[in-house]
Amino acid sequence: MLQIAIYFMLLSLVSVGGIPSVMPEMQRLVVDVQGWMSAAEFTQLFAIAQAAPGPNVLVTALIGWKVAGLAGGMVALAAFCAPAAALAYSIGGFWDRMRDAPWRKDFQRALVPITVGFIVSGGYVLATPQGPDWPSALIAVASAAALYATRLNPLWILSGGGVLGAALF
Amino acid sequence: MEFAPPKSLLELYLGFLSIGARSFGGVLPWAHRVMVEEKRWIAPADFAEVLALCQFLPGPNVGNVSVVLGRRWFGLRGAVVAFLGLMALPLVWVFGLALLYADFSSNPAVRAVVMGVGVAGGGLFVGTALKLARPLARKPWGVALAVGCFGVIALGRVSLFAVLPIAALLGWIAARRGLI
Repeated sequence: MLQIAIYFMLLSLVSVGGIPSVMPEMQRLVVDVQGWMSAAEFTQLFAIAQAAPGPNVLVTALIGWKVAGLAGGMVALAAFCAPAAALAYSIGGFWDRMRDAPWRKDFQRALVPITVGFIVSGGYVLATPQGPDWPSALIAVASAAALYATRLNPLWILSGGGVLGAALF
Repeated sequence: MEFAPPKSLLELYLGFLSIGARSFGGVLPWAHRVMVEEKRWIAPADFAEVLALCQFLPGPNVGNVSVVLGRRWFGLRGAVVAFLGLMALPLVWVFGLALLYADFSSNPAVRAVVMGVGVAGGGLFVGTALKLARPLARKPWGVALAVGCFGVIALGRVSLFAVLPIAALLGWIAARRGLI
């Protein structure tokens, strides 16, 4: 539990763009490095977090819960949220004052492609728990296209994924 | 049209509780609806500014919004109260769902549906990234950096902690030269 707490606190500080950016690293740690669960189980936990209301950061609570019970869940969630929240708490005013500083704009522009690369990676590792296969590719591409091209509530897209999953897996 | 901050910690808590409770499929639209449209706590432009900051900061975006606004209105107590309000009900929901699923996860049909939802969720990430990537459309260096990050992390399975400093340095240089 201590291990997961420390690791999630570190992840918290680099999670620019939120949970999606650190999803590949979280999966790498939990599945590849520690072997706490299989890639399929990881994707299932993520599915449960998506099917509940609230921020998708809740997946950290489920990972902690799976590894170390209910207390582990609360610790994992707190570990992931606290460092970032402390930063948000302290930096808010400073950032507003820097609104027009050129370095701030450079920094923001620099982060866009990195965040994009990280988030696509997160989507990839979640969508291919057993390595790339046709049914997964179909579901993932359809849901990406639906989100990009329509204004559907993501909940409908996830439901569609469930229906396709029942038919294809 | 007047905008006024919440008058009490209880009002703040209940407001964020209702955001959390209703936010199926994404918190952001509900945060906007409750705080800007229903409660009229904050003006739309102000909300957009706060959100821009919180999307840039590490951590869960809407969680950061709750901390920044809670602090603005009630100091440290406000930040804690708003954050707990946002998380309380979804946390109960998600543990309930997980317990329920633990009972049914051996059923192959249930597993297939849940896997489908998870894979579709991965697809949503890709869709979100595509939207974020719009400003990169005519910036080959930006695209190259994004593709490089994907290759190293998703396919190469290299740790984010190793990739981020290098990618940030390259991004910074490119941004300074107007390439991104």
